[in-house]
Amino acid sequence: MLYILLAIPVLVVLIYFLRSRALTSPANVLTRGQENANLVKVLLDLEAKPREELFTLYKDQFGDGAARYARQTYQKWKDGTVKPNKQTFHRFLINLPRVMNFDLKCEVLRELREAYCAKDHYEVTVTTDDWKKTLAPIVEGVLKKALTSELPESLRRRLTWLAEDDVAVGNAILVESEARQTRNALALLENEFSNIEELLDNASGRSKVTHELRLPMGTISIQIEKGNGNG
Amino acid sequence: MDEENDDLIPQKQSLFPLSADDIVDNALQSLDEQQAREVTKKAADEVVRIAVEKRKAEYRSDRAQDEMRNLIHNANLLDEKVGDYKINSTFETATGTTSVEIKKSRSNLTLIVAASALALLLIVILLLVFLK
Repeated sequence: MLYILLAIPVLVVLIYFLRSRALTSPANVLTRGQENANLVKVLLDLEAKPREELFTLYKDQFGDGAARYARQTYQKWKDGTVKPNKQTFHRFLINLPRVMNFDLKCEVLRELREAYCAKDHYEVTVTTDDWKKTLAPIVEGVLKKALTSELPESLRRRLTWLAEDDVAVGNAILVESEARQTRNALALLENEFSNIEELLDNASGRSKVTHELRLPMGTISIQIEKGNGNG
Repeated sequence: MDEENDDLIPQKQSLFPLSADDIVDNALQSLDEQQAREVTKKAADEVVRIAVEKRKAEYRSDRAQDEMRNLIHNANLLDEKVGDYKINSTFETATGTTSVEIKKSRSNLTLIVAASALALLLIVILLLVFLK
């Protein structure tokens, strides 16, 4: 009986220790192979025109056979059913960027920013009277994010072409573009809120309205309630 | 690009000692003539792309406004003809997605009123019993 009583706290401590280890262990740390596969996947997310340019360039650099295989396997790389090998990764993300034109390089960079730059998600409740005041500090944060977001250091270390001068210029163009898209979206919000206010004012019954504001560097989920007209 | 004047949007502010323009200027100095031409073209293309996206967003906003008015109309029609209803609707708008839920539940209201009346009656009875 005494042994059982002694064993219980020992077991509890052991379970606690194992659980905390399991929680803190980097379960989602990717292997190099998975990282490479993800990067190829991101690259193949390019829109149709730049993707076609990419395959043409691939053919020019590595020959008909390699290009044919790449085209045949493209969808499988993209949906993850086939993992690209090290050579494929090197060809797409190390060798090709060195011969890409500026436009294509920028499109690749856009995809990388989309996939790897950290994005924020906010949730906020506003009324039709106070939405501007409530959203102002969040908007400022999102704009700052658009102007300051960078690709992770680990990625920049692996893809050294990201440090070249033309890529730095391309990155600045994309940063400015994201900031302008954010400003444009915010300018259009006025009209969105006017539509929502009309809906809340005129629909019978109880209305619940949520707006998911999608910006280049994050999303703001806004729960909108009817104000009392003092805005 | 046109700048919209809206008090929600903070005015241009300096967040960095080095602005994006400075970075472009510095890097541009290291580029050859061909690269500089490509940069100029890409920047111009990007301006056009943003303008096209903005126009598309405005179109989505107009369409969402029409759809919301239809929803109001339908909700009001239901309100006249049906006691209980619930409408869930989503709209692709200029800046994202708006989700709307409109509901009316007369039976619930009746139930609440009846329960409140019953509770009140019980309290009165209990008071009468204890005060006797």
